[in-house]
Amino acid sequence: MGELVQKVELMGSDLPWLEGLREKGAVFFERQGLPTAKTEAWKYTRPRDLLADDFILPPLEEEKENACTCGEHCTCGHHQREGEDFPLSAYVIDFENGALEHIAHNLPRGVTIKPLIEAIYEDDGIRKYLNKSFDMEKNPFAALNTAYLEQGLFITIEKNMRLDKPLALVHHSFSCHENLMFHLRNVIVLEEGVKAEIVEYYNYSGNEKSRYFTNIVNEIYVGRHAELKHYKFQDEAFKAVHIAYNAVKVKGEGRYNGFCLQRGGNLARNETRLSLTEERAEAEINAAYIMNGWAVIDTTTDVEHLAPYTKSTQLVKGVVGGQAKGVFQGKIHIAPMAIKTEGAQLHKALLLTDEAEIDVKPELEIYNDDVKCSHGAASGELDADQLFYMRSRGIGEEEAKQILVDAYLQDVLEKINNQDIKDWLAAKAKLAK
Amino acid sequence: MKTPLLEIEDLCARVADKEIIKGFNLTINEGEVHAIMGPNGAGKSTLSHVLCGKPGYEITAGTVRYKGKNLLAMAPEERAREGIFLIMQYPVEIPGVPVTTFLKHAVNAIRQHRNEPELDTMEFIKLLREEGKKLGINPDMLKRPINVGFSGGEKKRLEALQLAVLKPQFSILDEADSGLDVDAMKVVAEAINAERTEHNAMLVITHYQRLLKDIVPDYVHIYADGHIVASGNKDLAREVEEQGYAQFLKEK
Repeated sequence: MGELVQKVELMGSDLPWLEGLREKGAVFFERQGLPTAKTEAWKYTRPRDLLADDFILPPLEEEKENACTCGEHCTCGHHQREGEDFPLSAYVIDFENGALEHIAHNLPRGVTIKPLIEAIYEDDGIRKYLNKSFDMEKNPFAALNTAYLEQGLFITIEKNMRLDKPLALVHHSFSCHENLMFHLRNVIVLEEGVKAEIVEYYNYSGNEKSRYFTNIVNEIYVGRHAELKHYKFQDEAFKAVHIAYNAVKVKGEGRYNGFCLQRGGNLARNETRLSLTEERAEAEINAAYIMNGWAVIDTTTDVEHLAPYTKSTQLVKGVVGGQAKGVFQGKIHIAPMAIKTEGAQLHKALLLTDEAEIDVKPELEIYNDDVKCSHGAASGELDADQLFYMRSRGIGEEEAKQILVDAYLQDVLEKINNQDIKDWLAAKAKLAK
Repeated sequence: MKTPLLEIEDLCARVADKEIIKGFNLTINEGEVHAIMGPNGAGKSTLSHVLCGKPGYEITAGTVRYKGKNLLAMAPEERAREGIFLIMQYPVEIPGVPVTTFLKHAVNAIRQHRNEPELDTMEFIKLLREEGKKLGINPDMLKRPINVGFSGGEKKRLEALQLAVLKPQFSILDEADSGLDVDAMKVVAEAINAERTEHNAMLVITHYQRLLKDIVPDYVHIYADGHIVASGNKDLAREVEEQGYAQFLKEK
């Protein structure tokens, strides 16, 4: 164990503080190791496939030709991506196989998007935020991500900016190389009064049996009176591992609104640890997942109410088929001084087969009496009479199931305020790809 | 010369360990309307479910041919696409699925099967509104989830609307009058009668004679203990109304 940390030379190795930070990340990862059945935070989602230890970083540009294994059709390292471009109007930032490829040229004034390593070299403000939003001692994959700190973005949006279109971080994976691992770090800072939307899209378009590991950490800072809508669509290859950690801090009267649709991956986890640090900060974390086969898809949230009059709501709905397993762990923590706060959480799942499974762990930690807090969980199956009714009208069985699934997911999809994004994700939330 | 549409021979079926249909025989030709009357608990609904392919019933013997094909080997949706339609005794509520969405899927599935082009949304809405109007269906009702919060009359009107837009060749009416007031029954019966042609056939399953005044059958069968115990014309229905089922049960 431990071979996920490899000796490789990364950009920025001439910066002692950066090397020191990476070293620290490696140490914290090795100290914790990969989560096991005894690791409370990972007890339902064991990252079994990572134990194989054979993941490697993508080859460097000059090595690509030699490293290519994909056979006669390959014109390596000039693979062209085949996946769809981002289908909606947005400021698009493309990543290809874990490396930044392109940043939209026409960004409005006041929006700065830099490659992470460039921002680190310039050292113009990033160190205030980088690695400041989470605890590496408690997050093995965030520590591992720190050990490989290099790829990703530093996004800053200046005071009172209102973005007219979303920023779309589109990750195309299509490499002919097997067993790659991608470690991405995005630091996103919304200054006071900013209104912005960010979309993350993990889009796989290579060999359908490709195996790789995506490990993302987003550090998100929402300023006073600012509002971030953060959408994510995880559609990785079915043998991929996708682990994402979103550390979000929301200041006074700021608002974070997250929606994540997960459909891909053999093992996928989207974790959001969100702190409402000042009065009247608000958050909404909604998610949907739809899965088949043997996948495990995990949605984990940890919302800290640290100030009075803060508010959070969560709605997570899943559709689980095959022998797949859906996991929801949701924690709401309310600090002693966080009076008059409201926290609500609801998880619901639809199980399509007898072998499908869900594991749900809600946790409330409430340290004062003057709060409104609720949580709930429910699971059900497709209604046989409803299915028969539709089939008796000529609708095929699979189509009938899909109609019922659409109806099931409708309320959570309705949480998306952006109509284009809602339509896009609703069209993707299907049983058959 | 009559063309048989549905031929049921020695059909036996059960639910779990209970025999419900026991040696049932009936042939229905194109253009004919047959009524099946029987006391509660005789297995009338089971018969309609078996003909439509509802899961949960085991066929233990017998054959059913529809247009000469083995009906029992067909999935429920195939039967529907081939023109079989069941007006259900208790139509199912489907929260979250608007009537329009549902019917568009159904109409297009059937059109596709008949090699007809799919209707686009505008054409479809127009068709639905026109047919709905004849049945006194408010356009708002078409936007609501299927049967959710519908009165008994509204549910049956919706069933009749489906009949009108799906254009089946063989319709089964399972206690189509239950939960209906007199006016609603008239409207529904009219819609059903409008589908009577020389090629279409119907099977009307009912406990009371009431419905058979509006939908006049060519043949009436008395169904008890899993099979037909008496057959006749529409006068038989009146006889049952006057004298009850007891006489038929005793003969057995």
